[in-house]
Amino acid sequence: MANHARRLDLLLVEVSAFAAYTVIGLSLGAIFALAALGIVLIYRATGVLNFAHGAMGMFSTFVAWQVFYRWEPSWMPGWALTTTAVLAGLAFAVVLGLVLELAVFQWVRTRPPITKAVVTIGVLLALQSAASLIWKNNQYHLPIYIAPQAWTFQVAGVPIGANSIVIVVVAIGLAFGLAAFLQFTRMGRAMRAVSDDPVSASLWAVPVGKVGAVSWMLGSFIAAVAGILITPFINFDTTSLTLIIIDALAAALIGGLVSLPLTVLGGFVLGLLETYPSIWIQSLGFPRLIALLVIVGVLIFRAPRGMPVANR
Amino acid sequence: MLTVRDLYVRFGGVVALDRVSFDLNRGEILGLIGPNGAGKTTLFNCISGVVSPDAGKVFFEGRSLRNVPAHERARRGIARTFQNLQLWNSMTVLENVSVPMDALGGRSTLADALGNPMSIFAERATTERARAILHVLDLKRYANTKAGDLPAGIQRRVEIARALAVRPKLLLLDEPAAGLDAGETRRLAELLHTVRDRFHASMLLVDHDMSLVLRVSDYVYVLDFGKLLARGRPADIRTDPKVIAAYLGEATQDDSKPRAANDSPATGEQAPLLEVSRVSAGYGPLEVIRDVNLTVRPGEIVACIGANGAGKTTALRAISGVIKPRTGQVKFGGRNITGRPPEHIAALGLAHIPEGRGLFPRMSVEDTLLLASDNSPDRVDPRVAYEAFPRLKQRRWQAVGTLSGGEQQMVAIARALLARPKLVMVDEMSQGLAPTIVRQLFEMLVILRRQGIAVLLVEQFVESALEIADRAYVFDRGTVGHEAPAADLLADRKLISGSYLGTAVDEAGGVAVGANGNGHRPDVELMETLALKVPAGVKRAIEERAEHEGRPSGAVALELLEGAKN
Amino acid sequence: MSHLTRLTVAAVAFVALAWIPAGLDVGLKFDAALSLVWGFGILSLVLLTGYVGQVSLCQATFAGVGAYAAGMVVNTFHAGYVVGIVVGVVAAFALGLLVGLPALRLRGITLAIVTLGIALVFDKYVFQDHLFDWFTGGSAGWRVDGADLLGLRADSSSHLLAAYEVLLALFILTALLMVNLHQSGAGRRFRAIRDSELAASTMGVSLTRYKLLAFGLSAAIAGLGGSFYPLVAGSVSPQPFWVFTSLQLAAIAVLMGVRYVPAAALGGFFLAFVPDILTRNGHGTFLGRYSYDISYDWFSLALGVLLIVQLIHLPDGVWGDIHARAAKMWSGLRHRTERQVSLA
Repeated sequence: MANHARRLDLLLVEVSAFAAYTVIGLSLGAIFALAALGIVLIYRATGVLNFAHGAMGMFSTFVAWQVFYRWEPSWMPGWALTTTAVLAGLAFAVVLGLVLELAVFQWVRTRPPITKAVVTIGVLLALQSAASLIWKNNQYHLPIYIAPQAWTFQVAGVPIGANSIVIVVVAIGLAFGLAAFLQFTRMGRAMRAVSDDPVSASLWAVPVGKVGAVSWMLGSFIAAVAGILITPFINFDTTSLTLIIIDALAAALIGGLVSLPLTVLGGFVLGLLETYPSIWIQSLGFPRLIALLVIVGVLIFRAPRGMPVANR
Repeated sequence: MLTVRDLYVRFGGVVALDRVSFDLNRGEILGLIGPNGAGKTTLFNCISGVVSPDAGKVFFEGRSLRNVPAHERARRGIARTFQNLQLWNSMTVLENVSVPMDALGGRSTLADALGNPMSIFAERATTERARAILHVLDLKRYANTKAGDLPAGIQRRVEIARALAVRPKLLLLDEPAAGLDAGETRRLAELLHTVRDRFHASMLLVDHDMSLVLRVSDYVYVLDFGKLLARGRPADIRTDPKVIAAYLGEATQDDSKPRAANDSPATGEQAPLLEVSRVSAGYGPLEVIRDVNLTVRPGEIVACIGANGAGKTTALRAISGVIKPRTGQVKFGGRNITGRPPEHIAALGLAHIPEGRGLFPRMSVEDTLLLASDNSPDRVDPRVAYEAFPRLKQRRWQAVGTLSGGEQQMVAIARALLARPKLVMVDEMSQGLAPTIVRQLFEMLVILRRQGIAVLLVEQFVESALEIADRAYVFDRGTVGHEAPAADLLADRKLISGSYLGTAVDEAGGVAVGANGNGHRPDVELMETLALKVPAGVKRAIEERAEHEGRPSGAVALELLEGAKN
Repeated sequence: MSHLTRLTVAAVAFVALAWIPAGLDVGLKFDAALSLVWGFGILSLVLLTGYVGQVSLCQATFAGVGAYAAGMVVNTFHAGYVVGIVVGVVAAFALGLLVGLPALRLRGITLAIVTLGIALVFDKYVFQDHLFDWFTGGSAGWRVDGADLLGLRADSSSHLLAAYEVLLALFILTALLMVNLHQSGAGRRFRAIRDSELAASTMGVSLTRYKLLAFGLSAAIAGLGGSFYPLVAGSVSPQPFWVFTSLQLAAIAVLMGVRYVPAAALGGFFLAFVPDILTRNGHGTFLGRYSYDISYDWFSLALGVLLIVQLIHLPDGVWGDIHARAAKMWSGLRHRTERQVSLA
């Protein structure tokens, strides 16, 4: 994030550092919120805490990037290529989610939560190495700009890149969309039932298997969205997005692993908390410490409803 | 030696213990009974240090237990066993029993690792003492078997052995008879008396098996809804009308109520809708039900009654697929559904309203009904439900968790209706509800039957259940003890209360620990069985004859049976 | 097995394994030594997760702390390498106690999350940030060329083999102590916590004391292995101790069977030898037409997939499965001989 801050510095002339950092923090927070939404969704519906969430997003993003940067048909205008790339990445994400459910997670539905979580570690390692094999361990700067990079808006004297706005809008929009989906659609109701009480749900003839598949597909989709949106802001390699899992987990824990709105809020708060110290401390690693402290603090003082925590 | 004063514990909105006070004296065996959810396990958790009470005091041997951690309480002499068996399954029986000994002996980890002579010596001493305990409890031959590989009855003994390794002054026994059959329970009763005499431990005993508790205890407390309901000597408790009412429900004075059986469209000739044959099932190492047989015909209302822990809920779960039957077969509509996943079984037309109603607390009523119709074969319009339950229409957008108990039950029944089932299984519908609401709900079940839907009903409130049922199965200690038309069971109330509270015949038997020599030991088990299986008139005749001849009734009955055999 | 038997087995194992790398080239000698370094890491997991049931995803971090502490002591204070090792172990132990504190309140997944967070923080922050240069030796890390371990100089030609011997002796000793521990009273208390914390605490086992002890000891073991790393590799950098190593250690431990000490040896071997052998020999042509080139990532990929498959089918790990089969065969054999004896 120090990178981003430095790049922004070049654009700044005279602007309050605080406001600028707020914008950065909110954009970052939106990414965390998106990632966390996917984690909470999957956890609630399937009981699996998906450590591989960032890795899944990373892989789908690489697919999108592959289309965007390696396939350059001259006859396609820029925006069409962007759209195709994004769609390719998202489609891949959905298929990945389905494959994971069918090949892996449907077989461990009855196992204790820690076993399911260790399985996701296996998925993480597998996806991580597969990506390394295909795309090597290089650092890429591979932005996929949803909005043209040049567009910036001046708000209260602070220049805000269009892509930053896109991220925040998408995060909030997706949160609302997800909430609406859960509230008003048939599958949404089924997912809510399964996440509240899988045993009772099965007694109601709710198709638990289908719900699991949809949850993974949707979760993977959201992870891919987060991954694609973050590309303009970071140097992308196979590990950086994988490791966003910690920040995403912190945000998810703020929401108690249950409440979607709180999760989104938690994401934004965490993004700000991680960015502000950069005003004084130039350190790549320090934000990670903040994320960890948030995690520990939340777990110790506010045990999430969705999870057995204390020694009882 | 143990003093509990005004203990108050609250979990969320539920008051588990409501200012409970009692005393336990040295050398006493105190029994604690009460219907499900009465707060007994919570009480244990408070005493053993697993849960901190919100208010109230606990004193052990004059010292307060406030803020004393669990392992320190063990050091002071409080040990316990667990309702659902918390053995260390990967360790052998000997190891299980050794742990408390050396935990309290304070040995050094480093010394153990290095295997120094002091450590080896202490190890041998521990092993000796552990073997001694195993010997008393007749567990020596299992010393090197892994605890997880043993049958439930033996495991229970191992738990007691482990608790004894603490050298307890007070032993808390949480449902030690759960999962045991009649014979094993009898042995357990003898064991507990042996423990009291040999190890000089006082005991606090909680169990649903009334015959055990009333047989073993010196004094009994009765809990209901977290409050102390009654106390006294076992014989007095058994006949206390308040206690009987708490278990069986109020005896209805209303004889003018039409017997629902009159308008039953059920015929005895139809093929059974549900056939359960020789099913056994359980949780983990416990086998809760064994050899259960029951049938339900289309349009019937069948009741399952019996004491808590007798296996009624487990039986329903094994039928609807929540747990898999270990042996036996379940057929629904001629189809074998043994071991199928619950969503398949539900889709076939078998609706199960579980204990606790199986609702989703944060969903609104409207959403709940929509969910029900989403997953029903006909996609019935949920508005139909509002016609049947107009009160729910007012609460349409309210979250189900905020409704009153009665309204929640209505939602549960409504969703079952929307699923267009052929059979509805209802578990403890009346739990926590006021009598008037209960009556309304029972009438609702009759309406179901009129529509041709069969009902399998598990109920603690026996009277109300029997009033609307055609037939009833009486569950006893994990299997179906007795089956009869509802009318017969209603007529002889003593039969039912016997299965809950133990029969009066127990008095004659008492607990003859190592009775040898003087006098015969009446066969208590036989008399209990007879009490349930023999019509009241025949039983009285046997007793009269026995009195006349100056012999125990058991012997007379045996004679008659032998005669009938030839 | 009695104490004496265990001692004998340990001695035999040492003799058998000590000479193996003697005839191999430098690269493989390096692998052999490294496999023991990571073997300590897996051993630490066997104690913490296998015996006591506490999940931890930061064992490589403990090893890293040991490594950096040793490097720091040797370079900053110019002490002998032995001192470095001792300090490394103590530092790791202290960190272990610290990490154990949240463990008192957390279990299962939540503990996994916290330890993963710790691994990440140390990886990205403590091991890489200039704030901690005094500990890490800056971005170049420490070099230990001139270090002296009981007369064994780090830059001598035979130092790898000697390091291997020392590591092997320590590894077998630690394994021996762990097996003793497992069978002893303390080991039973640990296992009781694993099987049922509730019962353990109500039967007199102090959860606080034993959980902290478990974390401390486990970290110390990992730190012991880690403190040898600079000696073996010549220098320390953050890369070997990053988050993914911790994850791989956990994965291999579970794969091999996290409750069994031999699993640690097997696992260490896998982690160090197999990838290197694969990358060296793993290219060529297949069926004369398709060229293949196996790199480290293939190993990691296989590890992930194997872990998934194993968790679905073989919950007790490879060694656990072998152990169970062997036990069944053994008891079957015994019954048969008993019957024969009784018939005779």
